[in-house]
Amino acid sequence: MTPVTQALLVLLLPLVSAAVIALFLRRQGGIATLVSVSVAAALAAVSLNLILGGERFTASMEWLRFGNFAVSLGFKFDDLAAVMLFVVSFVGFFIHLFSTGYMREDAARGRYFGGLSIFMFAMLGIVFADNLFMMFIFWELVGFSSYLLIGHWHERQSASDAAKKAFIVNRVGDFGFLLGILMCYWVHGTVNLTELGATHDGGGIIYSRLIPLLLFCGAIGKSAMMPLQVWLPDAMEGPTPVSALIHAATMVAAGIYMLCRIEVLMVPDALQVIMWVGTTTALYAALCAIVQRDIKKVLAYSTLSQLGYMVAAFGLGSSSFELNGVAIAAGVGAAMFHLTTHAFFKALLFLGSGSVIHGCQHEQDIFKMGGLKSKMPLTFWTFTIGVAAIIGMPGFAGFFSKDAILLLALQKNPAVFAILALTAVLTAFYMVRMWKLVFFGATRSEHAAHAHESGFSMTLPLIVLAVLSAVGGYSGIFGRIAGSVAYLVPHAEGADHTTILIVSLAVMIVGAGSAWWFYKSDATDTLEAKSRGLFRGLTVLKESFDVLYDYYVAKVQQRFAMLLNFLEQIFLAGLIIRGCAGLVGLMGLGGRALHVGSLHAYVYWFLFGLVLLWAYAAGVF
Amino acid sequence: MFAAMTPELLQAAAASNQWGAIFPELALGCLALLLLVLEILLPKSAHARIPVVAILGQLVLLAVLLWNFAPTGLERDTFNGLLHHSRDGQFMRAFFLVSSILVCLLGTVALAKQKLPRVEFYHLVLVVTAAMMLLAQSNHFVLLFVALETVTVGFYILVSYFRASPLSLEAGLKYLIMGALSSALLLFGIVLLYGVAGNPALPGHTAEAMNFNALNAFLAANPDNFLAKAGIVLVLAGVAFKIGAFPFQIWIPDVYQGAPTPVTAFLAVASKAAGFAVLLVLTLRAFAPYATLTVPILSVLAAATILFGNIAALTQHNVKRLIGLSGVSHAGFLLIGVVAAVSTPLALGAVYFYLAAYLLATFAVFGVMTHVAGANDAEQELDHYAGLARDNPFLAAVLAVGLGSLAGIPPLAGFMGKLFVFIAAFKAGLYPLLTVAIVGVVISIYYYFGWIKAAFFEAWRAPLQEGEIDDRPARTPVAWPAGVTLGLLALCTVLLGFYQGSFGEWLLTR
Repeated sequence: MTPVTQALLVLLLPLVSAAVIALFLRRQGGIATLVSVSVAAALAAVSLNLILGGERFTASMEWLRFGNFAVSLGFKFDDLAAVMLFVVSFVGFFIHLFSTGYMREDAARGRYFGGLSIFMFAMLGIVFADNLFMMFIFWELVGFSSYLLIGHWHERQSASDAAKKAFIVNRVGDFGFLLGILMCYWVHGTVNLTELGATHDGGGIIYSRLIPLLLFCGAIGKSAMMPLQVWLPDAMEGPTPVSALIHAATMVAAGIYMLCRIEVLMVPDALQVIMWVGTTTALYAALCAIVQRDIKKVLAYSTLSQLGYMVAAFGLGSSSFELNGVAIAAGVGAAMFHLTTHAFFKALLFLGSGSVIHGCQHEQDIFKMGGLKSKMPLTFWTFTIGVAAIIGMPGFAGFFSKDAILLLALQKNPAVFAILALTAVLTAFYMVRMWKLVFFGATRSEHAAHAHESGFSMTLPLIVLAVLSAVGGYSGIFGRIAGSVAYLVPHAEGADHTTILIVSLAVMIVGAGSAWWFYKSDATDTLEAKSRGLFRGLTVLKESFDVLYDYYVAKVQQRFAMLLNFLEQIFLAGLIIRGCAGLVGLMGLGGRALHVGSLHAYVYWFLFGLVLLWAYAAGVF
Repeated sequence: MFAAMTPELLQAAAASNQWGAIFPELALGCLALLLLVLEILLPKSAHARIPVVAILGQLVLLAVLLWNFAPTGLERDTFNGLLHHSRDGQFMRAFFLVSSILVCLLGTVALAKQKLPRVEFYHLVLVVTAAMMLLAQSNHFVLLFVALETVTVGFYILVSYFRASPLSLEAGLKYLIMGALSSALLLFGIVLLYGVAGNPALPGHTAEAMNFNALNAFLAANPDNFLAKAGIVLVLAGVAFKIGAFPFQIWIPDVYQGAPTPVTAFLAVASKAAGFAVLLVLTLRAFAPYATLTVPILSVLAAATILFGNIAALTQHNVKRLIGLSGVSHAGFLLIGVVAAVSTPLALGAVYFYLAAYLLATFAVFGVMTHVAGANDAEQELDHYAGLARDNPFLAAVLAVGLGSLAGIPPLAGFMGKLFVFIAAFKAGLYPLLTVAIVGVVISIYYYFGWIKAAFFEAWRAPLQEGEIDDRPARTPVAWPAGVTLGLLALCTVLLGFYQGSFGEWLLTR
């Protein structure tokens, strides 16, 4: 098979699976599971072959043509796409596998696995897309599948609300994205990524800044940057494997991937904005994570924070970064590196939390767990590796990628460096808090007391992802997958090296140590008990956005909509539409009355018609 | 006697032998006779096989026709100019054959519910089909009239085939009288044309006035002749009866309702298409010099037909009346294509494409109707479709595809057909007609979707009382030949909407 055929196969297999499940297997959950998982396995195998085969290509075909504007569908498979493809297909497969165990008792398994397949299709479309229009189509499909999967347990009001919220908040970002694409086409005359790379004309001082920022709006929505971060914590209403796949490892990272795709369009001013958005989100989310009780919400805020890191990294490292005197896009390297390692360890942590939740009969409150270390040893050890990776324990994957980002910050902007270092302290703090409360101390609830280790289909993905979280940061692994992208990752030399090492060790030890020392194995939050003011402050901080948006939606937008609805009901629907329909209906009754059924009338009508026709032909009227 | 035949005589006879040119019609006629012979020869228990023979025989014939689709000697006249063979004629031959096969198939389903002789039905369908093929290729008024009458007389019997049903008999009678009336008008028009063309006082007069080519030459030499105009209007009125154009559509609802469902399908598709084949030949060849007369007449007919058909269909509850009136509106859309074809060659292909899409969709819908209908064939109400999607998703899906295509919903074939016709009309500059057509499409969506809604969304019904009988007929289970055919029709409708390929290219490039 040629590489293009392989890529096509990778893209279309999940679509076929989704179609088959949607059409025939909605009620046969078992077969649907088999179809979806085997397709995920097949596409992981083909992708691995594609990535390691070293063949990089572009291919495209025209889809629609309007005058001289053509929409094409095509593949742009370079090293950047290869990294992303690896993350999506590989992590995706293990999450499929995990789901077979996690969702075994779910009545709507067919719909769940169909949703996973359509998600894989959409996500792979983003990975392969060679132009922004195609990317936008799949971008929307990803949003749709995310909606389906968050709302999988739609009978729960909170789940269907969360699905709606995620979809609607994403629309806000996508609106900017679409505007950006249109403006990009207007200014540059093309939306093809390769052709955009060849255009050097920025399109004037306004457009050159506006285009990247509008496109960044798409990433703000999809990667849940501030101020659109509100949907991601709520999205945890979906099944845990979905949270792992979509809301940690792949879809939310699509925003970062998209930024790296359009790196050529970036200008320093835009990068400055992006950097600050990322940095603020990283800090804000880390603060929110400290006061969460729900195991998945902690991880959700942690995801937000890590995504903030990636966005900040992208904003920091423009092409002015020099390595051995050569300017490179270090931001792309650092962001993609952290994206990859984060996909491993965050998927691991989510699946670990899924295993815990499954073991504890769907108990999610960390203050009702405790002492699970001995009950779920495999989950505990793999989870520990995940925690080690995310807090930047030397030798684990997260350590390398976080250091690359900190190095960029140190060299470019001391303020950002300080904030990201503080965020790292907080990361270590809330992760160790959760780790301690879940696995150590006394068992604090009935459910936790009866916890048991999960089955093989759930522990195998944990083990594989734990291995990747441990070794994924070494250039032997990442470099092999990422090819030239790996060269973009900045490496510290000399004095910087020492500074970064000391700082990252210090923040980890301070954060982890203080959490270990501070939190007691107890049914109430120690922070709430000891420092009520601080706890309340953080909670308000977390809720402020939701309160503000709720006020806007309920009070401002809703009233405006009511007004418009009133006008629409009276004038458009009432007078114009009902009026026309009524008129046509009356004429219909008239037409019907013509067919009286009497042959005499018909013959007269026939002759009358002939006379009419003749009169018209003769020019009487 | 054979000794008298010299080689020269035999050679001359062989050279003038043109029977090969109408091989498909002859074969159909023989097949029709064979069915009657089989009915006499075969024991009664084997009579159920006769429809199979009819369908398989026609399939073989269709294969032969398609295999030798462009025979040598196309675009020529045979039988002293009675017939003109063209690629459009070949297309119509295949079209009628496909319709006939589908009607026979529907016949097996519908006749099974009645206690009636079976074999004559297939016999008549085959004879009518052969006559339609000749009609579409006629180049002479005598042949045109004879073929037309063969078709019409066949239909008189077919429409009243369910002779136990008063509605069927009534429909037959109505069709007979209205048909006779229209034939009389047509014949009167022909006589006028013949008379005026044979007038020695006029320039270019001809003794061969029945021949379309000669008539064309005469009309070109005599523009603005009053008698010729009167003749043309009368002939067009006669053809307008066949296609069901306003104001000659009046017979359609009653006859469609009363006729057996397969015959209704035959009337709606093949008979209408035959009318259009004749209309195209007449307007584009015989009456071409009088385009200033035919174009306005047909334009007005088209606009009135579209509006009337769609508006009258809005309030129908009986699906056979509804599809009849929707067929009236389709005749209007096709008339737009005919009008455009006078100035734009593309329109001719568009009309044929539209007909093909219309065939697929209409037979899909009629196939579903045949399965939903009970023994009382005339009573087929929209209510009977309630819960179809739940009880039989396959039939409901076929129905949705068929109706969607008739409504012109993208990406189905019907949409592409309308699109091609509209593009042709746009190129021909028929903007007022286009406006009317678009209004018509909007109205049509209402009743097509009302039907789909009836099949897919449950309306509340009072629960049956103790001892009360459900007045809705039981649905016929779908046997595999009908199931495969309906699936194919729906599939082709979808595929042809996405991709027209070489078929569309063959039709549209000329």
